[in-house]
This record gives sequence, C-alpha cells and structure tokens, in this order.
Amino acid sequence: MADSALRVALVGPPNSGKSTLFNQLTRLRQRVANYPGVTVERCSGAATVDGEELEVIDLPGIHGLSSRSPDQAVTRDVLMGMMEDERPPDAVILVLDATRLETHLMIAEPVLALGLRTLVVLTMVDELDERGGELDVAGLSERLGAEAVLLNARRSESVAPVRDFLRALLAARPETQECPAVLAVEPSARPGRPLPLVDQFKARRRRVEAIGRAARYRVPGPSKATQRIDAVVLHRIWGPAVFLVCVVLVFQSIFRGAVPLMDATEAAVAAGGGLLEGALPAGWFRSLLVDGIWAGVGAVVVFLPQILVLFLFIAVMEDSGYMARAAVVADRLMQRAGLQGQSFLPLLSAYACAVPAIMAARTVEDERDRIATIFVTPFMTCSARLPVYALLIAAFVPEGPLLGPVLGRRAAALLGLYALGLAGAVLTAALLKRSLLRNRSAPFVMELPPYRWPMARSVGARLIGRAKVFLVRVGKIIMTVSVVLWLLARFPAGPDGTAPAIEDSALGAVGHFIEPAVEPFGFDWRIGIGLVTSLAAREVIVGTLGTIYGVEAADESSPELQAALQGSLDAGAAAALLVFFVFALQCTSTVAVMRRETGGWRWPALQFGYMLALGFGGAWVANALL
Amino acid sequence: MDPTTKAAPETRLRVLTSVPLQEEVVLVRIDLAGDEAEPLLERGIVPGCRLCPVHYAPGDGPVVCRVDGSLVAFRKEMATCLCVRSVQEAMGLLDAN
Repeated sequence: MADSALRVALVGPPNSGKSTLFNQLTRLRQRVANYPGVTVERCSGAATVDGEELEVIDLPGIHGLSSRSPDQAVTRDVLMGMMEDERPPDAVILVLDATRLETHLMIAEPVLALGLRTLVVLTMVDELDERGGELDVAGLSERLGAEAVLLNARRSESVAPVRDFLRALLAARPETQECPAVLAVEPSARPGRPLPLVDQFKARRRRVEAIGRAARYRVPGPSKATQRIDAVVLHRIWGPAVFLVCVVLVFQSIFRGAVPLMDATEAAVAAGGGLLEGALPAGWFRSLLVDGIWAGVGAVVVFLPQILVLFLFIAVMEDSGYMARAAVVADRLMQRAGLQGQSFLPLLSAYACAVPAIMAARTVEDERDRIATIFVTPFMTCSARLPVYALLIAAFVPEGPLLGPVLGRRAAALLGLYALGLAGAVLTAALLKRSLLRNRSAPFVMELPPYRWPMARSVGARLIGRAKVFLVRVGKIIMTVSVVLWLLARFPAGPDGTAPAIEDSALGAVGHFIEPAVEPFGFDWRIGIGLVTSLAAREVIVGTLGTIYGVEAADESSPELQAALQGSLDAGAAAALLVFFVFALQCTSTVAVMRRETGGWRWPALQFGYMLALGFGGAWVANALL
Repeated sequence: MDPTTKAAPETRLRVLTSVPLQEEVVLVRIDLAGDEAEPLLERGIVPGCRLCPVHYAPGDGPVVCRVDGSLVAFRKEMATCLCVRSVQEAMGLLDAN
C-alpha cells in the first residue's frame, strides 16, 4: 500500500462491532504489529474502493481518551498525531453500539472534538429493533454535526454506506470539521486537570442526554436471552459451576485435544528435517540447517496447535460475551492473589504451555496486573515439565499406596510438585503487588455485552493474526538461540569435521565450568550440561541425559536412564533437581514471547534471574533437608 | 435541575451494596479519587444517573448494574463508595425544588 494512501481510523468502545466492520472493510487482509515502545497492538489493513486503496487502522476498544491505560493513551496519540512515525489519520469511523447508545456516546464528544472528518456508525440496529428501541439517525447526525449511518456489521451488504463514506474521502481530501456538541478536547489529554473530573463528565452526560432526546432515542428493553443466560452464569451456585466446566473444557482441549495436532506437527517437522538431511551433503552446513535452524523452527511450530486451540476458546468466549462474565466470576479469587478476574484464563492455560498463556494475558486490561500475570504464569506446571517429573519420580519415588487406593506415592509426589508451582505463583504475585508493581487496587470496571453468536470469519481472522504473530516474532528469537546452542554443542569439530563428544564440546566445557556452581545442590557436570541445554526447553534435559549416559532413544520411561540417574544422584540431589525444575524458567520460547508481550528485555531478564535464583535456592534447601 | 445537587438529609443516602437486586436508584455521589472514578465516569456513571443492581457475583464478587441499556460490573469496594438514593426520593427532591 502506498505511503500516501488515505488513512482511516476505526474508534469505539469494546464490543461495539468495530473489529467486525474492520474485517469486512479489509476482507481480512490485515497486518498485526505493536506500536513502537508499547505493547498495544496496531492492527491495520487495506480497504479497496473503486480500485483505490485506503489504510484502515483498527484502534483498541476504549471508553475514553485519557492516559489511564495504554490502549487509551495509544488511541489518543494516534488520533492527535502524537504517535512516533505515525501520520495522523485523515478521517475517523466512530463505531457505537445502538443498543447502548447513551453509554457509548460518552466517547463521541472527545473524538469529534479532534476535528477530523468523522463517520458515526451505529451497529446492532437489528437488536435495537427487536428489543423495542428507537433512534432517529438523521436527528442524531444533525445534533452530532457528523454523518451517521445505521449498520448491521454482521451483514456484508450493509457496509455500503461506509464504503460510500470512503469513496467520498477519496474524491475530496478531507478537511477538519466543526462539531456543535463539542466543547473541548478531553481534558486529561492535556497536562494537569484543571476542572474536577466528576463535573466535566456530568456536563458531558447532560449533553449526551440532550443528543439522545434530539435523536428521539428510546433505550431498548433488556435482552431476554441475556437475562436468562446471566441468571445461570452469574448465579451464586450455578455461576461457578458453569465457570468450572468452561475451565475444564479449555484445560482438556489444550492439554489433550491439541496433542494429536501437536504430534502431527512434530512428525511433519521431523519428516521435513529428514527430507532436508537426505537432500543435502553431509557436513557442518547440513547439521546447522537441520539440527540447528530446522530443529529450532520445529520447536516453535509444535506449540502452534495449542496456541490456536487456546485462542479459539478465547475468541469464542469473548465474541459470545461470556469472557466478561468469567472475569466477573473469577475476580474475587484472583483479587486475593493481587490479580484481576481476567488473569484466570492465562494462568489456567499455563498448565498446558506458558507461551499461549502469556499471549492470552492481553485480555487483562490493567497494565500492572497484566505484567504480574505474565510474570507468574511460568510458575504453573506446564506440559514440558511432565517428562522431567515423570523420569525423576519413576527413578526415585517407590511405587506404593500413600492414602490407600485413593492416592499413590508417585501421584502424591506429582501433585506436590503442581502445588509447589502454584504456591510459587501466588506468593510471587503477592510479592510483586507489594513491591515493583505496587498500586492501589486497580479499578475493576467491566461492561458486560449482550450475548451474541460468534462469527466464524471474525474468529478465523483472529486465529490467523495470532498464528502470524507467534511464528514470525517468536520464531526469530528462538531460532537464534537454537543456533547458538547448536554451535556450542558442535565445536570444536574433529579433524574430519564431525561433532565432538558432548563432554569435549564447548557445551561440555560449559558443563565442567559450571560444575563447582552446581555441586552444592548435589549435581555433577552431566546434570550441569542438562541444566544448560534445558535452558532452551525443559524437556530437552531428558534427551541430553540420555546422550550423556549413552542411553539410546531415551525418554522419561527408559529404565536404563532411570538406573543411570539413581547411580549419580542421591535422594537429596533428585529432590533438588525436581524443585529446580518447579521454579526455574528454562524455556526460550517463554522468554521470547515474554519479551514481545512486555515490549523489552527488562521483565524477561528479571523473571529469568528471579526464577533461577528461586530454583537454585529451593534446590539447595531440598538437598540440605534430604 | 439535577436532583443530586440539592441539600438533602444524608441519612437518606445509601451505599449501592445495600440496595436490593432490581431496585432502581439514583447515583448521588461518588466517594472515590478522580483516577479511580474515571472508568465509571467514562461509561456515563455520573451523579444523577440511574443504576439498577441486577446481580451480585458469587463469592462476594463484583456487582453487576444496569445503566441505561448497558450492564456494568464493578467490585464491591467500589460499590460501597457510590452513594445512592431511591428514585422516588430523588424525584421528590426534584419536585420540591
């Protein structure tokens, strides 16, 4: 798209139908990126009208233009032309839900005050009619001083008036316009707050009511379907029950449902690696390509099914309106840990994998709570820890009943490790909210949209967007790390160019170098190397130990590997290793996605150091006690 | 005139959490700092508007109120800072003035 293309910004409150309109205008040709320096997503796409392209920017859903949240600050900066490397938009499409007009009109005034050419799009008109509401759109348009159109964003043919607006924009370069309803730009957009906020908003509310009267707006009756469903999902008993069912469903789908897809992806990656290996002559280049780059990319791609399954659930729950209710039901529980209701889903998802869980933390509105959620997410016991737990428990915990037939010793050990991780998460959240992320309890105010059927096209677009973000952004980082680990394991090469024994490699040298540091925990250089390689991904330690101990095709159920471990670790060291894996952050994918989601290395570095210290501290205590 | 701005016996004021479900009330005062109140104000929840609590979330969770055509949820701690009056009393004050 040409840089000179006209730019149109879509603005409106959350759940107003903004993204649906965006998808219809751009026909899903969208680019997702972050605004520079912040973690707010910039979603843009090209709309074609009469063969000419315009850039459409889907700004975050907001209720105001203050700097209270990153979403609001970014929206304000984009609209006011204050965003670095970003031209101000030439026009604005303000999307408001006609069934909640008086609430949504509160955002109209500060947006119209910007003086940009604006089209006001009123969505959900079918619902307005069904529920007995009324609106004179011409009266509204006249009073607002901006063109207003009714739209059912779910029907593609009904976007014609919006296309007409874009056509008119292309025909005549837009100029600023005056709006009679407007008195001033949002006061909080300027330094200081000269007038009491309450008075400003009271005045605005009075003007909104006057606009509603001029437009002969009649508030629609409550949605019967929404009332009936809410009577269950917000019920004191049935509400938590429905919530738990959803939780189990999400957990099972990620943990079990995605497994066949992950296996298939893994097999496809392995087959691709085999093809590459067969097609290239033996040598360092083939090894770099197949064992380094291909394996690194494969390690990323294998997580994709879990990510897509998780985001499918998130998209369906958000678009249907249930996600807001789930946050309300979970809020009190999360508040006790210093978090918010929206933190629950990311934490739950982390039992499968921290990578999609951290991405899911975008649903947490408050920035400090979002960072806290991301920070504690890797404490939850992800599926990558299971092979390590299974190997060490099988090697060191004798089989036998602990509580009769109900609970065996090995199951109890596994449960204990899960509980230890959860305790780490809760205590860390509490610590963070009393130190680095200390704030007054962030206001939890959430609008609950009416229930609606999710649209396949909208859900699909979000899944594609998430997949692109994950593969492109995170893939670059993990590929770099994988190549570095490959280099350390392959050099110095022998005279014939073959890779050295791992003990003689640079990675082995690292193992011996760090041996004095790991000895206090009962570990030798072999475990030291395992710890180093497991920095890429936790489960890598199983294969690494198999290589070091010379066990072919080692996995967590190999009796030979279990026997080898029993020979080199005592009970204290085994417990120390388990505790280390409970706490330490050994997952480059997690670090990479955390860097992306927090907009820099500060939080991932702090997180890595904190969890490593906790891991070694816990390991030392465990080794000393047993 | 806004009925909430008139002098009225403070004893008639209630906090929102004491209002039974489905009883519509008029918001009189928000006892919160500006930053904390802003999410409410942005949604049109300002003194003078009508609120109707429709759900109390399980486990002492947030209050869900109907405001105009919208459902808005906020924590009980916030709800206890919202002073309200019954619609009849508010209308009576309006008539009296």
